[in-house]
Amino acid sequence: MGKLFKIVGLALTLALGVFLAVVAGDYGPWYFAWLVGTTMIVLIAAAGAVMFDTQETNSNGKV
Amino acid sequence: MSLIDPSVVELSRLQFALTALYHFIFVPLTLGMTFLIASMETVYVITGKEIYKEMTHFWAKLFGINFAIGVATGLTMEFEFGTNWSMYSHFVGDVFGTPLAIEGLMAFFMESTFIGLMFFGWDRLSRPAHLAVTWLTALGSNLSALWILIANGFMQNPQGASFDPDTMRMQFTSFLNLVFSQDAQAKFVHTSIAGFVTGALFVMGISSFYILTNRHKALAARSFRMAALFGVISSMAVVTLGDALGRLDYLVQPTKIAAIEGLWQDSNAHSSAAAAPWLVFALPDDAKQTNYAEIGVPYVLTPLITHSENTAVPGLISLEQQAGPRILNGIKALNALQQYGQDHDAAALATFKQYENDMGYGFLAQKNAPNQDLTQITPANQDAIVAQTEKDTIPNVFVTFWSFRIMMFLGFYFVILFAFASYYSLRNELEKHPLLLKAALWSIPLPVMACEFGWITAEAGRQPWSVYGWLPTFQSASSHPVGYMVFSLIGFALLYSAFIAAELYLMFKFARLGPQHHAEPSVGGTATMFGKPQLADKSWQ
Repeated sequence: MGKLFKIVGLALTLALGVFLAVVAGDYGPWYFAWLVGTTMIVLIAAAGAVMFDTQETNSNGKV
Repeated sequence: MSLIDPSVVELSRLQFALTALYHFIFVPLTLGMTFLIASMETVYVITGKEIYKEMTHFWAKLFGINFAIGVATGLTMEFEFGTNWSMYSHFVGDVFGTPLAIEGLMAFFMESTFIGLMFFGWDRLSRPAHLAVTWLTALGSNLSALWILIANGFMQNPQGASFDPDTMRMQFTSFLNLVFSQDAQAKFVHTSIAGFVTGALFVMGISSFYILTNRHKALAARSFRMAALFGVISSMAVVTLGDALGRLDYLVQPTKIAAIEGLWQDSNAHSSAAAAPWLVFALPDDAKQTNYAEIGVPYVLTPLITHSENTAVPGLISLEQQAGPRILNGIKALNALQQYGQDHDAAALATFKQYENDMGYGFLAQKNAPNQDLTQITPANQDAIVAQTEKDTIPNVFVTFWSFRIMMFLGFYFVILFAFASYYSLRNELEKHPLLLKAALWSIPLPVMACEFGWITAEAGRQPWSVYGWLPTFQSASSHPVGYMVFSLIGFALLYSAFIAAELYLMFKFARLGPQHHAEPSVGGTATMFGKPQLADKSWQ
């Protein structure tokens, strides 16, 4: 039952997110682009840091 | 009504330009650094590695110095609208004041509160809670900028308001139209991402210094990697968003876009519009309305501006001529408004409503009217006054043309620099490219310069208007004595120069010191920032 509530909750959150994206896309496409773009920039920068650590571990492992 | 002394208007413009440009030395770094710091802390919370906490601490310290001085320089500008631009504040205060007030609330309540928690909450908040605070600081600083840019968007392309002949002011018709104005949106995104570029190059440049001098290598290499990736996407975004903003200017401010391109004649004047060249270099002569020493790339201008193959772009001379009928309408509108103000005559109101959209052009003509009185314009002197006013409808082309080009060339330089930086960082080959590291170090001030020239393009290109099409700049100022303006201008210049000196001193000091809890011994490297750093050790892993 708990799992069902969780799935329903996540589905509702997803639906709300899509709804907000559609509204933002219609009325504030540039604002929406900023939100998506900033998130992407941050995620890629963070992924770069994690990749650095992985490269470092691999490099130390070889040595 | 007599006009304000032109010397006072020019001094007011100079003072606002000076304070705004000083203030904007600090703003982009705040906009970008907050998100970069939030990225570092996110990695810390996810991976639990202390080095990322140390990175967050160190870069937040430098950000804090910048933020404190940036806030101090921004405070005066809010008051300047009232002290130096009282006519402007009267005319559009009902509209302009709203985003300005929200910006104040954002900056002083949301942003400042969360910055306090960010700096002093490390031992009081859980990791996720502190991360949320850092993210809210980043959002808060950018949301502050959002409301200022919404206010500026209204000046560039007035939306969501109309003129009320009873109150003689512009009043709200739609708050949503103001917030979602295309100009406000585009300006915010372009400016915020330009801040990301500034923050990224700042972090990358100082990290390069540590790598070159073989200090704090674990922190520097990771910071470099994150900043390079953050910057490469941001710099590409800022160029493409700038192009989109240019397209918007073509639609709503054709005089600005023609000035940016140094376009005196229509783009199809000599050959087809498709073949019109985009000028890489030219020396525009505003007095003679021509360019010297033009170097252009054919077939680029039309698709660049219009996003089409063969749409003609109007030149400045055509745009001047097109303003003629609007000036005549504006004169009729203001004369009818004056009549309505005296006796509330319904016919006068109807006449005003007919020509209301050209009212601003009537204000422009007032400068050239006999005794600055529009009612003294007669059929005999009308043509000469209109011809004279037409010349006033275009901005200074030399300034707009070159400020845009400096900004744009710098923008492309950043894309190239960040692309190489990302490539060599991802391959862990930075030590093989000291020239790249030195370029990153010496490029730290360039994004700030690009931002400043971007603002000069936006604001000089909007002239002669303070609110485009509605209120000329020379009608917007307060009637201060010249001596007062000179005194306050010198005072601001001295005070703000002291702020910048303090910022540079503190930045250099703390950047040289580096992170306090990660003091690696320098292995042969020299720590003379902006001296001649040498690579001392090729391994930092």
